[in-house]
Amino acid sequence: MNIELTAEQQALQREVREYMKGIMTPALLEEMKDHDLREGGGPEFRKQYAKMGADGWIGLSWSKDLGGKELSHVEQYIFTDEVIRSGFAYPFLTTEACTPVIAAHANEEVREEVVRGVQRGEVVIAIGYSEPNAGTDLASLRTKAERDGEDWVINGQKMWTSLANYADYVWLAARTDPDPEKKHKGLTMFLVPTSAEGFSCTPVRTLGARTNATYYDNVRIPDKYRVGEINGGWKLITSQLNVERLSLFTHGQVDSLYQGVAEWSAQTAGPGGGRLIEQPWVQHNLARVKTGLEALKIMCWKQAWSMDQGPLDMAKASTAKVYGSEFFVELYRLLLEVMGTAGTIAADSPGAVLQGKLEFRWRVGSILTFGGGTNEVQRDIIAMAGLWMPRSR
Amino acid sequence: MDFNIPEELASVNNLAQQILNDFTTVDQLEAIERQAPRFDPDLWQALATAGLLGLDIQEQFGGTDLGYYAVTALCEEVGRTVAPAPVVPVLVSAAGTLRRFASDQQQETWLPGIAAGSLQVSSALEEYANDDPTRPDAIAAATVGGYAISGTKICVSQATIARRILLSARNGDELVVALVDPRAAGITLSPQLVTSGETLHEMAMNAVQVPDEDIVAVGRKAVEAMQWIQRATRTALCAMMVGLADKMMRMTGSYTTEREQFGRPIATFQAVSHRVADCYIDVECLRLVTEQAASLIDQGRPAREASLIAKIWCGDTAHRVSQAAQHCHGGTGVDRDYPLHRYCLQARQIEMSLGNSAQLTAQLGSSIAEEYLASDPG
Repeated sequence: MNIELTAEQQALQREVREYMKGIMTPALLEEMKDHDLREGGGPEFRKQYAKMGADGWIGLSWSKDLGGKELSHVEQYIFTDEVIRSGFAYPFLTTEACTPVIAAHANEEVREEVVRGVQRGEVVIAIGYSEPNAGTDLASLRTKAERDGEDWVINGQKMWTSLANYADYVWLAARTDPDPEKKHKGLTMFLVPTSAEGFSCTPVRTLGARTNATYYDNVRIPDKYRVGEINGGWKLITSQLNVERLSLFTHGQVDSLYQGVAEWSAQTAGPGGGRLIEQPWVQHNLARVKTGLEALKIMCWKQAWSMDQGPLDMAKASTAKVYGSEFFVELYRLLLEVMGTAGTIAADSPGAVLQGKLEFRWRVGSILTFGGGTNEVQRDIIAMAGLWMPRSR
Repeated sequence: MDFNIPEELASVNNLAQQILNDFTTVDQLEAIERQAPRFDPDLWQALATAGLLGLDIQEQFGGTDLGYYAVTALCEEVGRTVAPAPVVPVLVSAAGTLRRFASDQQQETWLPGIAAGSLQVSSALEEYANDDPTRPDAIAAATVGGYAISGTKICVSQATIARRILLSARNGDELVVALVDPRAAGITLSPQLVTSGETLHEMAMNAVQVPDEDIVAVGRKAVEAMQWIQRATRTALCAMMVGLADKMMRMTGSYTTEREQFGRPIATFQAVSHRVADCYIDVECLRLVTEQAASLIDQGRPAREASLIAKIWCGDTAHRVSQAAQHCHGGTGVDRDYPLHRYCLQARQIEMSLGNSAQLTAQLGSSIAEEYLASDPG
């Protein structure tokens, strides 16, 4: 039992941290002030994403025959953790969730087009799962794809299609068997080029970043853009969920907020003299955050390590999702309390603390507990898979 | 990074589980609890015979020398079976400290007997309103050939059975760690019934003469010994809590699956199953931070912060899991004929022992402040 990064792993951590400092250029930081470009998509973002591709940083976890380096899950986690810490809008779902599935199941021509494009840092893929009436109960989705000769014709609407405003493709789940008995078994995956006729996108302005509603009005695409078997889509969707979760609740992004607030409170004058950090209630909040962070750090490492040993235990994966999301929200509050009212000043307003980073996270934090698989369903999974309790009804 | 449990440790766990299960049926526990103290000598001897009392004792003294981490694995199993075996005060606090800080002569005198189960040395780390053994109120006055110790220790385990009690006292600014014979002149032992259901003892000392041969450490080395004992004991209590909490949670999962109300198992209500799922998350977090602290201590690495954090999780988990388990069991959870109550009471005892969540959170907060004030350039 040894719960520490090895010297090589620490070296990788430092290397990525240094490299990402060069990616977060002043021009990119300026560009990201635009609400619509916060999650990428602007020219400077495109430039830096392509630079990461040219420098060989994209697809490190992929197999060698795909051009990857077959990093272990622990190394991949270290990379992910550092990239998220840097604040770069790296499209993890494109590189880690979609592309390996596309590489394994797509038509050869599409595979070359997409995999090479992603590797060069030129291609971004948006996820088209949720619909206005299909969220947690995803398998009830209604967007349909019908065969017409060598083509498919797609009609329907997707919701919360983040990045679709600048993505090159939508990774779309569509119903190909209308039989209502075949809920999960009637779905097929497609890659829809956003340049296709009949595709459109309107912004949805959330408390945080821009996301989108996307519309499919007789979108006609050739069969080569179908990925995997007809009616075999559910397996492709669920196979990448664990990978997705490993990039949601990483330690570095919140550890840097903790460090930032601790440093700020050590430099800021407190009431009645001394520094703010000398106040007992400030120390209490920082200690509670530190206590939770330590469990988060080891949990992330153990998840990544376990994925290198074999399939991830379902109850443990759901535990990480619930603990991570609820702790993030708690941490935002505990840290923001330290700053008091000044903590509520948004980025770019005079007096904003830590460039308003914490204010932003605190404001939009509730997305975490339902996004990525709502916590009620995760708790159901824990009770069933971890404790052998019967299904709730 | 390696979360693997080594093979030799896995076989220790299996062996411990077998023995502990054999000695902890409800009837056996009830029989032991009709007498005081809550200690089963036959179980202790069985653990000794299997080599489990010497996991962190050198081979030359009859141990297997698997190290500190191995003892915490045993503590977890003792928690899982709520066994009447004083593994923490005897094997961790006393034997663990002796092997690291006592003289060769003292180790030779006490460790072989502890490993063989033929004698016990216990420990007394807490006083009234003071559970910090590095800053005791007890006084050690230097005399010819030793010290005279005065002061009061509380909630001492095995005080009527142990041959010596390891404790600390201060001689002015200097810390003294001593092995005190609980039968020596000047000692008054008064039984204290505590929440766990055990009878522990108040140990009042009035100028008790302790000869030089029973002085373990003085000064800087004594401080190091008491820092070690504090971290190692807290972490061992955390390991025991992992076993206790895991068992409480699993008993609750099973009970709510069997128990029917409104014509269905109550586990099929999300309000119930989610409360048990929350216990699962707490237990997992406690397990991770405990493994971290235990592996650091095992490697002789700095473990102050890791053991503080583990004990905070331990207190919070004890509170939340024991309350949820009893709540979901309804009246059955407080019935003395049903086994759950033992786990809940033992958990609450550990929750308050050797530093509770509020106090340790304050300590952690103050060291965070020191760290960041020190690094502030202004």
